[in-house]
This record gives sequence, C-alpha cells and structure tokens, in this order.
Amino acid sequence: MILTSEQKLFTDSLASFLSSHLPVAALRVLRDAPLSTAYDRDLWRQMVALGVSSITVPTALGGAEFGWLAMGAVAQEMGRRLSPTPLLSSAVLAQGALIQCANIDQINRYLPDLLNGSEVWTVAFEECVHFSPEKVSTKMSARGLGGGKCMVLDGAAADRVVISALTAQGQWGLCVVEADAPGITQTPARLMDGRQYVDFEFTDVPQSACDWFLGETVATGWTQTLNQGMVVLAAEMLGSARELFERTVTYLKEREQFDVKIGSFQALQHRAAHMYSELELSQAAVDAALASFDSGRGDHSALASAAKALTNACFQLISDEAVQMHGGMGVTDELDIGLFLKRSRVCNQLLGNAYWHRRRYAERFEF
Amino acid sequence: MKDRDASVSFRRDIKFWLEKNCPISQRQPIVQKEQIWGGRQRHFHSDDARLWFEAARDRGFTAPEWPSRYGGAGLSVDQAKILREEMQTLGCRPPLYDQGLWLLGPALLAFGSEAQKLQHLPAICRGEIRWAQGYSEPCAGSDLANLQTKAEDNGDFFKVNGSKIWTTKADKADWIFCLVRTDDSGPKQQGISFLLIDLASAGVSVTPIPLLGGESDFCQTFFSDVLVPKDNLVGELHGGWAVAKEVLRHERQLMASFESMAEKPKENIVDLFKQHIGNQDIHGISNTDVRDRLATHLMRDAAVKHLGERIARQREARCADPGLPLLMKYLSTREVQQKNEIVLDILGARGLSLSSPDDPELYDSMVRQWAFDKALTIAGGTSEIQLNIIAKRALELPFSGSS
Repeated sequence: MILTSEQKLFTDSLASFLSSHLPVAALRVLRDAPLSTAYDRDLWRQMVALGVSSITVPTALGGAEFGWLAMGAVAQEMGRRLSPTPLLSSAVLAQGALIQCANIDQINRYLPDLLNGSEVWTVAFEECVHFSPEKVSTKMSARGLGGGKCMVLDGAAADRVVISALTAQGQWGLCVVEADAPGITQTPARLMDGRQYVDFEFTDVPQSACDWFLGETVATGWTQTLNQGMVVLAAEMLGSARELFERTVTYLKEREQFDVKIGSFQALQHRAAHMYSELELSQAAVDAALASFDSGRGDHSALASAAKALTNACFQLISDEAVQMHGGMGVTDELDIGLFLKRSRVCNQLLGNAYWHRRRYAERFEF
Repeated sequence: MKDRDASVSFRRDIKFWLEKNCPISQRQPIVQKEQIWGGRQRHFHSDDARLWFEAARDRGFTAPEWPSRYGGAGLSVDQAKILREEMQTLGCRPPLYDQGLWLLGPALLAFGSEAQKLQHLPAICRGEIRWAQGYSEPCAGSDLANLQTKAEDNGDFFKVNGSKIWTTKADKADWIFCLVRTDDSGPKQQGISFLLIDLASAGVSVTPIPLLGGESDFCQTFFSDVLVPKDNLVGELHGGWAVAKEVLRHERQLMASFESMAEKPKENIVDLFKQHIGNQDIHGISNTDVRDRLATHLMRDAAVKHLGERIARQREARCADPGLPLLMKYLSTREVQQKNEIVLDILGARGLSLSSPDDPELYDSMVRQWAFDKALTIAGGTSEIQLNIIAKRALELPFSGSS
C-alpha cells in the first residue's frame, strides 16, 4: 500500500511507541498476569492520545478521518509485536457498531468518551463454538435480557458491551449495556495466545440498563462493522506473519549446519520464496479490502472474506514453516516463534475461519 | 484535483474514441484464429478486424506506452491503465499480437541504438514485421546461459550456426531476435550477444514441434552459415546477457498476464460450476468440495490482480519494491493451472477429449487450454527458476550453487 506522508508520519510514531512500550515481551508479561487483565489500560490511553481511536472516524464526529489504509498499517504494526490492545474490540468493532448502527443522539452521547480514551468497549456477538454472527438467541423479555455470549474479546476490561440480541418483540438489534450492570456474569479465560476472552451470561438484565440500536440500517451497519473487523484482524495477522517470516529468513542466513548456512539449501530457499509470495498475495487482498472501505466501492463482504481467508492460510503456513525452519529452537518457549504460532490459530477462529469465508465468498458470487 | 479532472476527461475521450473506432465484432471474446498478428504474412479474418487494427495503429494504440516518434501513443502509466480498463469494459480485442511488441520493443527501447529503434520499432507498431524469440536451445533450457549457437566474426557480418528451440510461431515470423555465443573463453554469461536476424536470410530453416495437446505454435529454428550484418547487434558485443534479462523481465510480466491475452473461454468457470454441479450433491463429486476449491481459486486470482495493480501503482509513484514483480509469474501461472484442473473436475467425463482446434466444441477447447497451460510454469523460466530468483534477489539468501 502507498500511504500519504501524513498517514506515514502517524503510523511511524505509533510503531515507535509500540516498540518502546509493547514489544513481544509485553505479551509474556500479560499471559502470567491475573485473568482479569486484558491489556495495559494506561498504555491504551497514551495510544489514544496519539490518535489511535479516531483513525477512521469522520472529522464531523471529531475523528481524524485518516482512513482504513492507515488503520491497516497500525494493525500490522501491532501484529508485528503481538501487542495486546483493544484496537479490534473497542476502536474497530464496538466503535464501528456505534457509528454505523446507532442514532445520532446515541453517537453524541457515547463517542466522545471512546475517542478520548476515558471509556473502552467491546462487542458480544458469538454464541457458538464456530463464528456464526447470524445465530442470536440472547433475548429481551418482561424479566429483562437473558442469554449468553462467548469469546468476547477483552471482555473483562470493557466499560460497556455492545450485544447482538433480540428485542421482546423478536426484532434483531444491538444493545449497549454497562459491563457491570445487574444480571451480568463474566467468566474470563486466557487462551493460548495469552489474550483474554470472556463468556458472558445475562440473567434478567433490566431493560433500563439496555440502550438499543434498532432500525433499518442496523443490519447493514453491523455487517459492515464485522467486515471492517475481519480486515483489521487480517492486517494484524499479516503483520505477525511478516515479522515471523523476516525472523525466519534472518535465521536461515545465520544458522550453520554441514559447514554452510542452511539458507543456501535450495529446498529451504524454495519454501522461503513460496512463503514470501503467499505473504504478498495476502497483503494485496488485505490492501484491496482496506482501500474498498476508503473508496466505498466494491463488494466489501467479498473483499473482506477474501482477505481473511487468504490471511488465515498464509499466517498458518508461515507460522508452521517458521517453527520447522527454526528446528528444535522453534518449539521452545524461549523463542517467540511459538507465541506467533499460537496467535495464528486463535486468529483463524476469530471472525470466521477460512471455510466460513469461502462459503460467504461463494454466496456473494451466487455459486 | 487537477490530475483527477485530467484523468476523467482523458477517460471520457478514450471511451468515445473506442466506441467510435472499435467495431462491435471486435468487442467479442477473442477467438484464437481471429487474433490479429502483424508481419509480411499478415492477414485479417474480417474487414472489421482490419478497420480496428488500422484505427488503433494510427492512434499509436498498438503500443500505447511507447514514444510517439517510434509509433507508440506516448501515454503515461496511468493513461495506459485507463486505456486498458476502458478496452476491458467494452471488451475490445487487442488490436495487434506480436512478440516484437511485447518482448523485443521494450529491450530495444532500453538498449537499442537510435538507428535500430527507428528501423524496427515503427515497423512493429504498424504490424509490418512480425518477430520470433530465439533463446532456448536443446541443451540450454533453465540453464539458458549454456547456449551454444555460434556467431563468428566474418568481416562486416557475423556467421551464425546452431539451432533455437521453442521459437513460438517462428514459421510465421519475419525476423527473430537471438542470443548467440560470440566468445566461449570466459564465464558463460559473458560471451553472449543479442542479435537481430532476418528469417528470410539464406541458411535459415524452421520446423514445427507437436506438443501433448496436439499441434502447437512451437518450432525449432536452424541456422546454417547464416550471414548477419554487424549493425544488427543490440547492446555491447559479448554484452547480450543484460539485454536478455530485460526481455525475460518483460516475458515474465507477459506470462503473468497471459490469461488476458489468451482465448477467452466462452463460459466462465462459475457458470460452468452452476450448470454442471450447482447445489446438487452428485454422486462422486460433492458440490461443497468443489465450491470451496473454486472460492479459493477466485480469491487468489483476484489477489494476483490486486498485486499487479499494486506493482503498477508503486512504479508510478517511484517507490517500487523490487521483490514484488518477481512473484507475479510464479503466482499467476499456478492459478491458471489450478483453474484448469477445477474445470476438468467439473466436466468429468465430458472434459477428456482434445479433438482438433477447429472443432467448435466448447469443452474440447477447455481441455486444449488445460493441455496448453501446462507449459506456463515452464516457459519464460520455470517456476523453480522463479523461486531461485526470488530467494536470491528478494530474500538475499546465500548462494546455493544454482542460479
């Protein structure tokens, strides 16, 4: 992608911030932290001060309107360092749902606190073990909101949660609740990528605690929010894959066996060259999807699915090859390689595995 | 903003011009025998084909990006892209097919003398002279620099002896650009020269080579004491390898975009899938399996095109990542072959006959395409050679004993 000099300046400053404050070593600290910790909130506030929560927000709403290519570049920098931040959960998904699904009063009420970092949100849309956002049984009744959600990203650290649910009349919509509203039980878990995922149970959450986004545009807004989340996640995965690839190529140039650098073996050279071609192919798919969000042209769902499906496969290939090419060291905890490998498999399931995306892609082209 | 206005008005002009000058019959999917090839044996399949060729030629659109003094239209990269897009939208066929246009021209622009450019480039753009490529030899395929066709100093001439293989359409060409050995005393890359040879010269003979798909365009071209004027040397004596690499770079790009040049299938693969498999679970082939493979292929195919556009944008913005163009041939030829394999699976027993190229039978032409495209990962540098080049140049991995 080609960024403007303004976008470049912005992403460079964020990259250097991440290098000093959230290198891969920070993830090692997080995985040993108490279950309630999802990320360093103080560092997130500092990133917000640098502008990370307002990248794609229109200037009319108080944002920077830097565009999705810049968002993708920031996500890639986070991916390079496996940085645990609520970029995806709050700044892309929750904030995106608010901007694209809520009415203007709701936007005015909530958005400023998200943009200035005094609040952090997340989204709860998953009820099954496989991504299926269309399956919603969480429902409002006379007693209040009842049901449950799983795999809520950074859920225990959020101030508010955007939940996909049915109204008492059975109408699908999104509703915002405070994370500590009465009737909400949270069960956090740390998955193998070291990040926090939370199961939510809703038992009679009072109607008065729920602020609903309803109306004709909610469905398309939510689909678009998920598309944006998929592509930002794909960009982050691509950053991880690129970091891992570069570390592996460096290792091929350093490691000696049989008195030569192992990178001189043609079998390994061809596999490395193949990885590189897959990496750039995925990058092209991700950039195309990001660019389509900026231009408003193209089939966003098809482009997002292509980006996520190809990046799933690419990150999986590169993480497998990185472990294999690092030999015995590749399976140790001392090297970071394993952290990337485990992140790859978690990301594969987040926001749709490759099968889900290939099926949706086929549906978009009516076959 | 000014740039955008200019490109909008350029696009409007182009669209208007194409609609006025490209006959409807020339906006149909290309059929191989209706391709417009230049040269002394030039022949047009129809009056419309001639009209379209002449209009494009006079406007410089046979070589849109070449300078107008050499017969091109002198368009910028962006303008040429607009032209391509508008031609694609209307479905315009390429107005001229020629290896001189695709391969020799760019090399002459980079390495030719002014006299050579003026002699050859306009004749190429105007479709007057048709070129063949003389690179590979029976003992010099992937190891191209091992070539043995000799050009000895013979006063004002070189005397050429040897043979070139895989000389595509050489039996219909007027001239051939060849790599010849002018010195065998040093490293093999250093004694090679780049020579332009008139195929009408005494001592030249051409024999076609049948391939696994039946008749083919490939030939072997033999040279026996052929005298070639020394003015026909391009670049330095013994310095032909640099010119050769420039041609190969363009050939790789060409191979990467081969699909757009080839005969368009009368039906696209999605329609084929819907017609023959659709939502049914046919015994022996599950629609979900094929759908999954097809979706993967279409996603990758689209991404290859996005990558190509990214390379073009980087080139225009002068911030090119030199590693990326090396990937295109490897990636795109794989996808073409992948598509063909899915087609064969969809067609089942209907897709197993080659018959003859003149047979209008739809499925047979798809099988011929499958057979022909097996050459894509071999010609112009095999996929393995592409991986070697990527490893060496883009990844800078240590020398492995093979280049």
